[in-house]
Amino acid sequence: MSSQRPPTGHDVELAALAAAGDRLAYGELVRRHGSAVRGLLRRMGADSAMADDMAQDAFLAGFEQVADYRGEGAFGGWIKRIAARCYLRKIKREARMILTGEIQDGDDPTALNEPRTASRIDLDEALKALSKGERLCVSLCYGGDWSHAEVAETLNIPIGTVKSHVKRGLDKLRVRLAPKTEGARREAHG
Amino acid sequence: MAEPDFESQLTRLFSEAPPFPDAELFAAQVAASLDRGWALRRVLIGGAGVAAGVVAAAQIAASRFSSELQTLSLDGARGVSADIDAALHKFNQLVATPASVEALWLVAGLAALALAFAVTRAMEEF
Repeated sequence: MSSQRPPTGHDVELAALAAAGDRLAYGELVRRHGSAVRGLLRRMGADSAMADDMAQDAFLAGFEQVADYRGEGAFGGWIKRIAARCYLRKIKREARMILTGEIQDGDDPTALNEPRTASRIDLDEALKALSKGERLCVSLCYGGDWSHAEVAETLNIPIGTVKSHVKRGLDKLRVRLAPKTEGARREAHG
Repeated sequence: MAEPDFESQLTRLFSEAPPFPDAELFAAQVAASLDRGWALRRVLIGGAGVAAGVVAAAQIAASRFSSELQTLSLDGARGVSADIDAALHKFNQLVATPASVEALWLVAGLAALALAFAVTRAMEEF
């Protein structure tokens, strides 16, 4: 390799270079999408250490499979799906028990004490108000672009269970995110 | 708020990655892991090649070469030049013809591994 400067270009071009073994090109993709993947895993409920481990595993697996990425969708979405699958494999048993109600799935107690000042409420804060199951399902469907059926099939649970977790999660998020959105709307109209 | 509005807003919020102060460090860790994996792969391929070579050499030596040498030493009465000629002839035969099917496969495996190693190196370099 003559130059150690990271290559530039569109994700699809970098992925093609990575598929040919260019690790610098893949490194640039990691730089571009690392935070999104780590963020999604945290939003799904992984603690920071596990989220980073899973994100790293996902990028390593992504490098092995990058030749399969044809640029039909965004690279970010592609690698996030790999990361979500890695995480679900890790927590599959626990997730299934939580989602089917076999073990207690309480709300995050720290979220209840959060001051509900509109300026402080953002998605990550709002997600803390959700139970683990709701958080997982909502994050997969809206952050990972998974369908309800995909979540149900992967976790081997009824699709109705997934839908009810998503609905309850959305109801809570609507309340938690409302002050911000209402404020933004007032600003826009004012 | 209408449900589709809220859902599209939620999708947009999810698409915004939270900032990570250690983003560069994370990228460096992934790069280091990739390098380690690559180096490990090279070592494994090289190691497998060496192991296959050693086994192949041992197979060849154990099958005929040592017995031929033994025969040579027992036939000390023969003339030195005749012995050398005979040994060279036998050795040439040995090199020209694999000692057994196993040895043939081992040598083929060794060649395949060496080729894989060369391709790996070439991919990395270019």
